[in-house]
Amino acid sequence: MMTEISLYDAHDPWVTINAMHRQQGDELLALTGFRDQKIKAHWLLADGSIAREQVRCSSDRFMTLTTILPEVAWDEREIYDLFGYTPIAHPDLRPLLRTQRWPDDFYPLRAAMPDRPLWRDGEPDQAMKVVQGEGIVIMKVGPTHAGIIESGHFVFSVMGENILCLDAHLFQKHRGIEALLQGKSFPAIQPMIARLCGSDSVSHQYNLLQSIEQVTDRHVSEVVQYRRILVAESERILSHLNDLAQIPAGVGFAVAHQKGLALKELWQRGMAVIFGHRFLFDAMYGEVFTQEDKLHFLSLITSFEALWAKWVKLTEKNVAFHDRMRGVGKVTRQDAKQLGAVGVARRATGEKSDMRKYMPLYQVVDFTVATALGGDVEARFQVRLLEVESSLSILRQTLARMGDPSKEEPFVVPSDLTGETVTFSESPHGLNVHVIQWLDGKIDRYHIRSGSYRNWPVLAKAVEGNVVADFPLINKSFELCYSCTDR
Amino acid sequence: MDKKMKSLQLRHVDAGSCNACEQELTALLGKDYDVSRYGIEFVASPRHADALIVTGSVSDTMKPALVRVFEAVSTPKGLIVIGDCALGCGVDRRAYASHGGVQHVVQPDLSVAGCPPTPQEIVKRLQEYMDKHTTV
Repeated sequence: MMTEISLYDAHDPWVTINAMHRQQGDELLALTGFRDQKIKAHWLLADGSIAREQVRCSSDRFMTLTTILPEVAWDEREIYDLFGYTPIAHPDLRPLLRTQRWPDDFYPLRAAMPDRPLWRDGEPDQAMKVVQGEGIVIMKVGPTHAGIIESGHFVFSVMGENILCLDAHLFQKHRGIEALLQGKSFPAIQPMIARLCGSDSVSHQYNLLQSIEQVTDRHVSEVVQYRRILVAESERILSHLNDLAQIPAGVGFAVAHQKGLALKELWQRGMAVIFGHRFLFDAMYGEVFTQEDKLHFLSLITSFEALWAKWVKLTEKNVAFHDRMRGVGKVTRQDAKQLGAVGVARRATGEKSDMRKYMPLYQVVDFTVATALGGDVEARFQVRLLEVESSLSILRQTLARMGDPSKEEPFVVPSDLTGETVTFSESPHGLNVHVIQWLDGKIDRYHIRSGSYRNWPVLAKAVEGNVVADFPLINKSFELCYSCTDR
Repeated sequence: MDKKMKSLQLRHVDAGSCNACEQELTALLGKDYDVSRYGIEFVASPRHADALIVTGSVSDTMKPALVRVFEAVSTPKGLIVIGDCALGCGVDRRAYASHGGVQHVVQPDLSVAGCPPTPQEIVKRLQEYMDKHTTV
């Protein structure tokens, strides 16, 4: 169902209050739907505090914010798909996650614990957004791909070699994880949260821990906090190494790709020894860090740094590689802001936006926020290089300050745990936010808005005007996760 | 006469994984594991493949595509499932839009457990698969 644009009311209080936050330069953390007809917007203010705005959907309708805040276009479509609340005058209310296989009356997040519906037979195809005109060709790619890649369906409108428009149909892997978490306890959801995504797992784990600690007012010791920095920065390095290794593959620079993969492998083997997992699944939940772990870590960093320096030189001195990256997949600073770009994509447009500066955890270490100016593939490559180096420095600082491990009091989650939290962290792919509602020790609502979720529309914008053959390169320079976007 | 398999060409389909299995499969192509020396290769088309290699618990949206790609592999063909989710014991198996494992859609010939399984384990199991199977 489409709503009429003429019904738009710019003076609706829900619109004006959120417009005010945008004008103040506040950062939107999340737009979240709830079962009780409420929608909440959480804004991060300049002083680090969080403002909560909310609207009640009378007769299942609310005024769209997309007109003043294009970055919530997907959030509102998702709310419409999963709750059935209609954003009035939304400019593009095609289904986002729903497919033609979903029963008409199935709105999974309206129920506390939705059952598996009886899926309809047939194809999951959704309405496409394409450009029409003489000489324009529609090129569809996916959902399965000719390589080892996550599943996603892309519809390109192409003129000659140039991309006019990319309509990204993600959510091919939508499993319904937010609903799955409902009604479950803290220990039960820990492994689920750690496995939301293979590249930003630690950041998700941290957001969950922060939530439980905010509601119970638990304070962990300094050693545990230091350990958390180690795990988080280890993940940043791991994830950036993966992305850095993939970018040369996008232009056929095989040596840098292979050596990059080898660097990642070295780091992963170290992670398995120190934290017990090659992707750091569940590693953030741990609290033990021994002297032996510290020695292992220092020796890992030393052996890594020697190879890393050589790899950086290999990529720096290759002029052709840099020529191929320069000017490709450009995101302007204004687009980045309008579309709500986060993380590397935002910093590569020159903006010093890094959530670690707002996280109390990082107040004990020194680091500068890495930026680059071009907004293109080269700038995103450059920001990641700088960030690996700054993370290595943070790791060294942390290991040097870390005292002997102290004995933590065993933590028992109170059975009457109730409250609402908004927790966030700077994942390797940008601002990652969890809005969590606890009721009597169980999850009542869990909303995940990951860095990748926010950056997908930015990627679609970045490819416009580029040649089709450069899509893999541009895609790899964002290297967005599908899993925590689709959930 | 039947001969032992000397090469194994695989086409990959992600049916809803978290991307960790994908990363470990990608690692197989790096110089540390380099599976091409055993004749194992990832190919672009199911038409070129001896077997389909699947990750993820099978989301409803991916189900028709998974079935279609498997049908496109010419017979005799194999189905290899990688990781706990694809095996039906992953964390998201009870989610409303998850079919809870590949076995509910197509029967696998080889299952490699783990969250995710290590590259060493995947290589070992793929070699065992090649030893057990014959080619025309």
